[in-house]
Amino acid sequence: MDDTILDVSGLSLDFRTGRGRIRALRDVSFPVRRGRILGIVGESGSGKSTVLWSILGLLARNAEVTSGRIAFQGRDLLGLDDEALRAIRGEKISVVFQDPMTSQIPVLPYARQFSDILYRRSMSRAEKRDAAVELLRRVGIPDPEDRIDAYPHQFSGGMRQRAAIAMSMLTGPNLLLADEPTTALDVTMEAQMIDLMRDLRAAFDTTIVVVSHNLGLIAEMCDDVVVMYAGEVVETGEVRDIFHNARHPYTRALLECDPARVERTGGRLPVIPGDIPDLSASLTGCIFAARCPRAMPICRTETPPDVARGTGHARCHLLEGPGADPDWPPPAGVVAVGRTDPPPAAVRPKRSGEPLLEVRGLNVRFGTMGPIRARIRGVRDPFVDAVLDVDLSVAPGETLALVGESGSGKSTLGRAILNLLPVNRGSVSFDGQSVENRPERRFKPLRRDMAMMFQDPVGSLSPRKSVRALITEPLVIHGAGGRDLNAEAERLADMVRLPRNFLSRYPHELSGGQARRVGVARALSLNPRLIIADEPTAGLDVSVQGEILNLMADLQAEHGLGYLIITHNLPVVRHIADRIAIMYLGRMVEEGPAAEVFAAPAHPYTHALVSGVPYPDPDRRRPPSSAISGEVPSLLRRPPGCDFAPRCPFARPACREAKPPTVHLSPERRHACLFPLVPPERQN
Amino acid sequence: MAFYFVKRLGLSALVVGTVLLVLFSLLHMIPGNPAILALGTRATPEAIAEYTARMRLDEPVWVQFVHFVSQALRGDLGADVFSNRPVTAVIGDRIGFSLALILTGMGWAVLLGVPLGCLAAVRPRSWVDRVTGILSVGTIAVPSFLVAIWSLLLFSLQLHWLPAIGAGEPGDLSDQLSHLILPAFAIGLGWVGYLARMVRASMLEVLGEPYIRSARAFGLPPRRIVGGYALRVAILPTITLIGMGFGGLISSAVFAEIIFARPGVGKMIFDAVSDRNFPLVQGGVLVATAFYILVVLVSDLVIAWLDPRVRSSL
Repeated sequence: MDDTILDVSGLSLDFRTGRGRIRALRDVSFPVRRGRILGIVGESGSGKSTVLWSILGLLARNAEVTSGRIAFQGRDLLGLDDEALRAIRGEKISVVFQDPMTSQIPVLPYARQFSDILYRRSMSRAEKRDAAVELLRRVGIPDPEDRIDAYPHQFSGGMRQRAAIAMSMLTGPNLLLADEPTTALDVTMEAQMIDLMRDLRAAFDTTIVVVSHNLGLIAEMCDDVVVMYAGEVVETGEVRDIFHNARHPYTRALLECDPARVERTGGRLPVIPGDIPDLSASLTGCIFAARCPRAMPICRTETPPDVARGTGHARCHLLEGPGADPDWPPPAGVVAVGRTDPPPAAVRPKRSGEPLLEVRGLNVRFGTMGPIRARIRGVRDPFVDAVLDVDLSVAPGETLALVGESGSGKSTLGRAILNLLPVNRGSVSFDGQSVENRPERRFKPLRRDMAMMFQDPVGSLSPRKSVRALITEPLVIHGAGGRDLNAEAERLADMVRLPRNFLSRYPHELSGGQARRVGVARALSLNPRLIIADEPTAGLDVSVQGEILNLMADLQAEHGLGYLIITHNLPVVRHIADRIAIMYLGRMVEEGPAAEVFAAPAHPYTHALVSGVPYPDPDRRRPPSSAISGEVPSLLRRPPGCDFAPRCPFARPACREAKPPTVHLSPERRHACLFPLVPPERQN
Repeated sequence: MAFYFVKRLGLSALVVGTVLLVLFSLLHMIPGNPAILALGTRATPEAIAEYTARMRLDEPVWVQFVHFVSQALRGDLGADVFSNRPVTAVIGDRIGFSLALILTGMGWAVLLGVPLGCLAAVRPRSWVDRVTGILSVGTIAVPSFLVAIWSLLLFSLQLHWLPAIGAGEPGDLSDQLSHLILPAFAIGLGWVGYLARMVRASMLEVLGEPYIRSARAFGLPPRRIVGGYALRVAILPTITLIGMGFGGLISSAVFAEIIFARPGVGKMIFDAVSDRNFPLVQGGVLVATAFYILVVLVSDLVIAWLDPRVRSSL
């Protein structure tokens, strides 16, 4: 086994908690082969990160390894003392963390953070600095000699993650662990990071273990895949085997639920019903049995066999033993496990001509400094334009998706529509009446009709209120008028398919999907006509995300709701949106029917976004360095001419001179590009 | 940065001005003739007339205030009613004793409290943590003047280890230091516990931050993680607290100076209030206010120095 650099075998781990022992990992085994990229994929609660922390020996205090071995270069890491582990961490095994915002200490400059990692090396201060500068240059930080003295907050998100990768590669580790390395990044940054990590792997001859829930990232980067569910490895194999010939029902379900893989749009998304099992209870049989549509009686009583097939293993009764099904697994493309509920009987009402929400020439600006300071510094215009001349409209029963990377102004626009921010210029009309900049007293009645779903499902709920109080709160605020609040709470819980016994729970007792349901119920409690949803599926697992989106679609069909969905998740947008509007640096760069825009983007930025999402199929990997370069510039340094020109691969001199005007391709479709990508015959 | 500094100085001046105005108004709202209050009921009419003229009491209050402020800006805080010495000279004689007391009191509290808090945070629920916790709450609960009286009774009267009253012989540093120990102990004791609790709480929070986990994942030794990384962040809220704490220490110092008969500014203000020696009261309060505002400004600048995020937002 010379090519195995890390061998996890039979790893079981418990967390001791007030509610008893949680059996977080059970008999986890997988080898990591030298020079390859292994992906550990699973939803929240699968234990994938716990595996990573046990490799590093950095588990929480209440964790207890009950059995197993983690052999690294022939030594069992679990048997090493702190000193010996510290000698390995950072030197032989290194890590890239999920969120570069929080995983780098804000008060020390990079120079110090880098040289501290080299504390074991007998190098002079200057040598350490040179080594760090060299690596920063290698990961594509411009002017590394100067930038190394910067602090993390002076770097943009993408540069910070580049620096994080540089830090982890500084000692030339044999094994690099990456914990959701792109989850906190925008689409164009994600593509750049994937390229960078692949490139470094080749250059440094490092083995990489990537932990992620993102099937696209796994398919794009990995050679081998480990699929985890509720603390167990359910399937392992090479990436093509997993994505094209998955043997475990869970793996198949996961793949079938990924909106990026569901070709048919507009329909309902497949889901895996149910929740992850309670790991503090006693577990018998197959861990996935409760949610598996192929579950047989034997699945609930007998531990499934570990069957070696193809390039890996799978644990399922369908493969071997009395429950074996010779027709399993079915060919790829057949929806075998992900359940698609029948669509509701109500036919989706055709959207009418009268727009519910209409935004015309909207501008939102923020002050960057006080008037006195601006006068002293000689700044004549101490403002930045967060939203610039935006037009949009939402009709009843219609879904408009507002898409853009962080810093595009999409959330600001949402807040300005809801009168949470003052509008500088332009108009917002709701139901024909102009509502912008109304005093709150006069805007309040409108809040019944315009509801907001906030981005963070748990964080936007008061932790001290029960679900019952939370979902009836809008009724209380707007004067319920003697309505029976208990009955209302039950009605709303039924509407969002939240079990009634959840009404007495508190937010911390809810899973992400359940908390999101509470958010939907709150938004619906006053029977609004328009819902503005900020990243409605952020932080949700693939299997749950479908449920929420289906629920939103049902409610729309039933009540003719208009949705304005603010998101950066393009695969989801493709499924739920009738029309999409793309924003960049506060401007609308393209708008049109979703299907058309996805099929043939006119603006190069739209094209970059659409093609930038890694596709969950290892045979459809993008060629290296196809990622669009650079980052969203700061609003303070808006480029001259077209905002996107500095990053645009198709930019011509004319693009840098004047702001491109908005051009209508058809009554429904417009863009702001001088040289659109749509073939000329399609332009009117 | 320069703009920030100028802005803060301007705001500080505004605060001092407001304090002065309030103080001035209060002194003049006390019923009765200030001259009689100051000189006593048996003062001769000539003495009262002379006093009234000298203190400009016959002019409108706002004229008096403007006069006081303009004199103060020129460094003249008026004269002691009884000795006729300039107030600045009287305060100058005494301010050293007060500064020594306040700085020593806070100094030893910081030197002991911060490490104790770190220790408690690194080993939560250990005996160090529990003992610090109990003692902290205990010492926070006891008012500093009680500590002063008890320590005086115990260490001076019973054990005869330390001198009881006064500030020591001028010029004899060791004598002055031995006179400083008990009052500094008395006013700082509560702060040891308070700081330990604060540092423990913010340290525990910081130790749970992802960047500490990163440092551990890169194999940094625990000592460096706690001292070089976590404390750098955890100390920031404590610095603000220390800065604000000087306000409380100024009033504790008044008690301590009275109990230990130290000739400091606190005792001076107390005596001056009893004697209706208004110029001295005004001067003393002005100096105390200015000192407090200066300390808060310094603490903010220290935070800016330690935290690059704050620095770049200035």
